[in-house]
Amino acid sequence: MEPILTLNNVSKFFGGLLAVRGANLTVQPGELRALIGPNGAGKTTLLNLITGIYPVSGGQIFFKNQEISNLSPNVISHKGIARTMQITSLFSGLTVYENIWVTVQSRKKFFNPFMKAASLKDVEEKTERFLELTGLKDKGQLIASELSYGDQRLLEIGVALSTEPELLLLDEPTAGLSTHESMSLVKKMRTMLTGQTIVLVEHDMNVVMELADKISVLHYGEVLAEGNPEEIRKNEEVKKVYLGH
Amino acid sequence: MSSPHQKPTGFLIGFSVILVVLVLIPFFVDLFYMTFLTEVLVWVLFAVSFDLIFGYTGLLSFGQALFFGIGAYSMAIPISKLGIGPIPSFFLAILVPMAFAGFVGYFSVRLSGIHFVIITLIFALIGSTLGETWTSLTGGADGLTIPFTPLSVGPLTIDLTNINTNYYLVLIVVTVCYLLLRRLVHSPLGKVFIAIRENEDRARLIGYNVKRYKLLAFVIAGALSGVAGGLYGITLKYASANFLHWGVSGHAVVYTIVGGMGTLLGPVIGTGIIMILEHYLVNFLQGTDLVIGIVLVFMVLVAPKGLVGLLKRNSG
Repeated sequence: MEPILTLNNVSKFFGGLLAVRGANLTVQPGELRALIGPNGAGKTTLLNLITGIYPVSGGQIFFKNQEISNLSPNVISHKGIARTMQITSLFSGLTVYENIWVTVQSRKKFFNPFMKAASLKDVEEKTERFLELTGLKDKGQLIASELSYGDQRLLEIGVALSTEPELLLLDEPTAGLSTHESMSLVKKMRTMLTGQTIVLVEHDMNVVMELADKISVLHYGEVLAEGNPEEIRKNEEVKKVYLGH
Repeated sequence: MSSPHQKPTGFLIGFSVILVVLVLIPFFVDLFYMTFLTEVLVWVLFAVSFDLIFGYTGLLSFGQALFFGIGAYSMAIPISKLGIGPIPSFFLAILVPMAFAGFVGYFSVRLSGIHFVIITLIFALIGSTLGETWTSLTGGADGLTIPFTPLSVGPLTIDLTNINTNYYLVLIVVTVCYLLLRRLVHSPLGKVFIAIRENEDRARLIGYNVKRYKLLAFVIAGALSGVAGGLYGITLKYASANFLHWGVSGHAVVYTIVGGMGTLLGPVIGTGIIMILEHYLVNFLQGTDLVIGIVLVFMVLVAPKGLVGLLKRNSG
């Protein structure tokens, strides 16, 4: 099978600081890949490089065999990559419904200034569908910033999904949640994200072991080890640098 | 976007009532107040165009005076210096500020927050300095008078020196612009602007070309500020470098914040109330700016969403 995402010796410098050192990564369609590693391992930076938030300093990024290194975030979004942020990033003054609506609309090529937005029936239908999928239909008219933190995290995943991405990047979806909330979110994610190709950055090893098909361990921006959860658990080097056993 | 909070019939009734009142007003009040009311309408247009860029797109521009002033000069210079008629000049008052907004916007929209405020302010300062010093073109602070001769349009003769004719022209243009803007902010494009206001980074991540749409909002707002400036030139029959002063942009900021930004109706109410306050207080207190300042501080503290926000909150 052709990989959906390939990182070829990707590196990133911030001034003199090397944040990502020659990262190589291959993700297959349908896979849920977790990226783990200690703080400062370059996990979020890697997602920022893939989504075009930062330009790469070296190497190449391919999405479905097409180079996407250094394209701008909005172009990359239209190629089929969506992401959530470590710090919740929503249209916080808009309602839950509007957050999804405006995201669904983003797939259109032209935004007519003379027609009523409410008359876009196709956008409305899809919005309803994604609201249902995220399980936030009852809260559709609530302002996003008024949602509980857990629901905000959930909504952000819903927003990312509403772009109908082929690849979804999740940056610590359970960050800041209690164990209970975190497990409830993981349960919802399982049903919402069935069949979706995902790259997940996560600190919580319970979440990682629960969700991931395959894990890549980053250490100072390098991929130190790769394997299924069981293999990673047993890997001596990983234990040494990260799992701390 | 779902619109459970919009009441289109409520708007239609309110709008029609106000329009009928405004159409009939010249039959009941004297000419002095008609000039005042015409000016209020001009500033209403300036404030709502500012609301598009600030209230809907989230960009605090202090550069709108530049487009307002250029709009006025796009009427004044062609008519007084080049002998071009008022109708083509009026189109220039749309197109020239629009082109300038494209130029200023090109450099400004790549910035956000305070950096955007400062760069637009700098462009406005350059504009007003040029306006004050390039007196052969602009007449400086004394300005240029705009001579209007009666215009024949088909069977009609339009005499813009007639205060009521002037009023009706301004009323028509401001009403059309307001309705277009209202349609725009509820349109698919308007929702893109709102998304950018709410979270630029998120808007970019879901695929909107943020720079392009910020520039578009800036150009539309600039063109409408230019129209307001053109109408101001028609009303006062002159244009001066003072129109380019950044303090003019400050008026729009104050009207919009007091009335309620991101509402369109807010700047209309804000402009009306503050201009009436200024008008009457000038007889009681010399420094009306003091009163306006107090009103502004009070509003920001008590009702940060402006009068419209206050009304909405009280009506539940």
